[in-house]
Amino acid sequence: MNKDIIRTSRRKGLIFGIVLVFLVLINFHIMIATMISKLLGTNVLRGAFPEARFMIIFLVLYGLWVGWSAVSREGQTKTKLLEGLVAGMTTGFVLVLFGLILFYLLETRTDVRRYLTALSFSSINIFLLDLEGVGVPVHFALSTLTGLFGGALAVGLRSGAVKGFWNNIKSFIINQRQRITEKLPEFVLKYGKYLIYLVLLVVLLMMPSRWGSYNNFVFGMVGLYVILAIGLNIMLGLSGQFMIGIAALFAMGAYSVALLNSPIPHGVMLGFWPSLVIGMLVAVLGGLLLGLPIMRLRGDYLAIVTLAFGEIIRILLNSDLLTDFTGGPRGVQNIQQPRFFGTPFNDVSYAYLIIIAMAVSIFLYYRLENSRTGRAWLAIKEDTLVARATGINVSKYKLLALCIGAAFAGLAGGIFAARNQFTGPNDHTLMVSINVLSVVIVGGMNSIPGIILGSFALRGLPELLRELETYRLLVFGALLVFMMLARPEGLWPSSRPDLEQKGTLGLKEDLYPEEEEEEGRENV
Amino acid sequence: MRTAKKSPPKLTRRNYSKIFRPIFGLLVLGYILWRLYLVLFVQQTYTAEIWVRLLISGLIIGGVYALIAIGYTLVYGILFMINFAHGEVVMIGAFAGYFLFEATRSINVASAGNPPLSFSDAYPFISVVLAFLIGMTIAAISGFFLEKIAYRPLRKAPRLIPLISAIGASFFLQNAAQLLFSPQVRDYANPQAISRGAGWTLMINDARVIVTYTGVLTFALSIILMIGLYIMVQKTKLGKAMRAVASDKNTAALMGIDVDAIISRTFIISGALAGAAGVMWGLHNGLVHFFVGFLPGIKAFTAAVLGGIGNIPGAMLGGMFLGLIEALGPTALGISFQLKDVIAFVIMIIILIFRPSGILGEVLSEEKV
Repeated sequence: MNKDIIRTSRRKGLIFGIVLVFLVLINFHIMIATMISKLLGTNVLRGAFPEARFMIIFLVLYGLWVGWSAVSREGQTKTKLLEGLVAGMTTGFVLVLFGLILFYLLETRTDVRRYLTALSFSSINIFLLDLEGVGVPVHFALSTLTGLFGGALAVGLRSGAVKGFWNNIKSFIINQRQRITEKLPEFVLKYGKYLIYLVLLVVLLMMPSRWGSYNNFVFGMVGLYVILAIGLNIMLGLSGQFMIGIAALFAMGAYSVALLNSPIPHGVMLGFWPSLVIGMLVAVLGGLLLGLPIMRLRGDYLAIVTLAFGEIIRILLNSDLLTDFTGGPRGVQNIQQPRFFGTPFNDVSYAYLIIIAMAVSIFLYYRLENSRTGRAWLAIKEDTLVARATGINVSKYKLLALCIGAAFAGLAGGIFAARNQFTGPNDHTLMVSINVLSVVIVGGMNSIPGIILGSFALRGLPELLRELETYRLLVFGALLVFMMLARPEGLWPSSRPDLEQKGTLGLKEDLYPEEEEEEGRENV
Repeated sequence: MRTAKKSPPKLTRRNYSKIFRPIFGLLVLGYILWRLYLVLFVQQTYTAEIWVRLLISGLIIGGVYALIAIGYTLVYGILFMINFAHGEVVMIGAFAGYFLFEATRSINVASAGNPPLSFSDAYPFISVVLAFLIGMTIAAISGFFLEKIAYRPLRKAPRLIPLISAIGASFFLQNAAQLLFSPQVRDYANPQAISRGAGWTLMINDARVIVTYTGVLTFALSIILMIGLYIMVQKTKLGKAMRAVASDKNTAALMGIDVDAIISRTFIISGALAGAAGVMWGLHNGLVHFFVGFLPGIKAFTAAVLGGIGNIPGAMLGGMFLGLIEALGPTALGISFQLKDVIAFVIMIIILIFRPSGILGEVLSEEKV
């Protein structure tokens, strides 16, 4: 029994130690120490290194986490403490080995930055807490102690008394809420939700003119991703077609607006509004052309064909073949700004435009989802054969989904090009498609609040947290994996329950249930 | 639309694709033949030696693609998922080989020469073998952990979920490599005996065509690895177990096969092949950076689809075919060399439309496709 406990907590400690070594190798510890020092009010100059004491704070927090997560739910207090201690000691052991190597590098003045970029001498110094060789045992002591404390903390906070305290608070809040709702008149209960929406809307409408152009830019980015994700959700979430090439449709909208409003390749100068409509139509045409030949493909094959389609469009935009027509790798510059009753657009008006476009998209999405068409899409997604047997024209509805989704993508692309006054092949890479896909998946498929939350989390937060910029994509990738492991239905799942998913994920016993696996495959 | 009961099939909305697809295919075929005719018989700008050069480069690249494609096919055959992070495993293998060459280059061998010979120049054979071993081992280990962390918990989830997880893992590995080893493009330090550009010279119509040593090494090794893999899958017990798991997991488990272990080993094998491909890519193209695995990864998936996914000889054939098309296609069709990726993708789309099971693939049931 004891041996088992020690083995599992040793493994946990080892994993945590290796993760910390990896974080040090990519200089993540310096970023965290800088952030901690900022939080505590000590400003660190850009490019300078934070003081070692903030590194110690980081290490203490990390060690507490190690101890906390090593403690299992069952068992006696003594074994739990032992688990925390062993995990902390193992982490400390890994850190000692790593620290000794770093100390050796420091003493011999060996510069390994040619191979491991992040490992500069100042970085090593901070890892050794500015103590040189003494830092190595300090690391061991620190992580053993914090592991023990983390374990103790976990034991304490999960104990009956604390749990009872929390439960009391919870039930108190619930009781209060019930009492208040009982006293409120009925119309408040009925329309209170809308009142909150109204307040939110008013705040949203007030904000763009107040919060400066940078925030408007970020907000616009989030809004455009919401529109794109709604387009993708119609293809993926409603009709079940796995599309990865949405960047191509986005590019069609963007390039239509750009080419019809820029003096350089053609000098058409049609004006923004008609060209936005044309952009949407071009995207619809693109969706149709893509959709016709691939109607019969499903699942992964569809994904890879649409991915190839997106790449083809990008390569063509980048190539010499179309340089005269689309400006080649340089893109289209100096796109004329739209006018609204004679006044040219600025960042605030773009924010309003995006709000309006977003509102219209969301409205259309809800209308579509609850219409006959939306139900037909859902039927196709759940089971194509049954849908066909009930008299749904599968090809027609699938094409319709592609075209409507494409129209949303074209809309987003048109606004994007005009707002940036520039568009080029690099705005329409595979990354855009994958970002949109991640927004839909992370936010929650078929759920508008989820999509909004997802685009804010994946597009807005990284723009606002500039410190994290270097690590943005790394964190993004780890987050995607983690989300899929921990919460595959998304941050804010749709209210229409996906019974299949629950059926396939909830079952722990019988390893390979044949039918459910089949259903899982059908799901996409 | 239907007036009489026994009328011949009419063009209804249901069967438009039956009419659309042949027309589309004929148009594409006609265009390709016309371009070929123009280039080969009307313009005649390319001499035989250029064709031979392109053929050689196509074979070499094709071998690498084939090795990577086998990894996709093995995993797809068993788990029905696109291992999107496979390209990153290739990148990890390339980096491992790079570090080994750097290490062997920095060790000096005791000799009378001045400047002193480095280990990699003195014993090129040993260092190349070591580089391949290290590259394959590290890539195999990373494939193992990739499966264990990112895919195994999602074994029973709907198909979309592991794919997203794979995309996330791909991002993570790419950016981890970028942060660890910096985004700069690094030169692969080949041993001097097989430096890039050196090779045997062929004379064709009084023009010199160089067959590089790295190219021959790459091609020969990829063929050897493919044959070895084929024998392993067909003859050994592990291969038999792999085939059993691929065809039916439940029954395989009932027959006493440890399905999880077989899946792990599949990832290890595909990772090892990807690592070898990565070292080859580095040796032949001479550069390595964090993005090096991405494009070969997607191309190799294309190759796997071309040959019929889930089918090992199909992946080999598809890889070779794709390499040849990429090398010969732009010249043969008389279009810019920038568009070689477009040719590869367009051919993949066409194959998927007309023969979704690929060149060699068996006719898959609907839910597999």
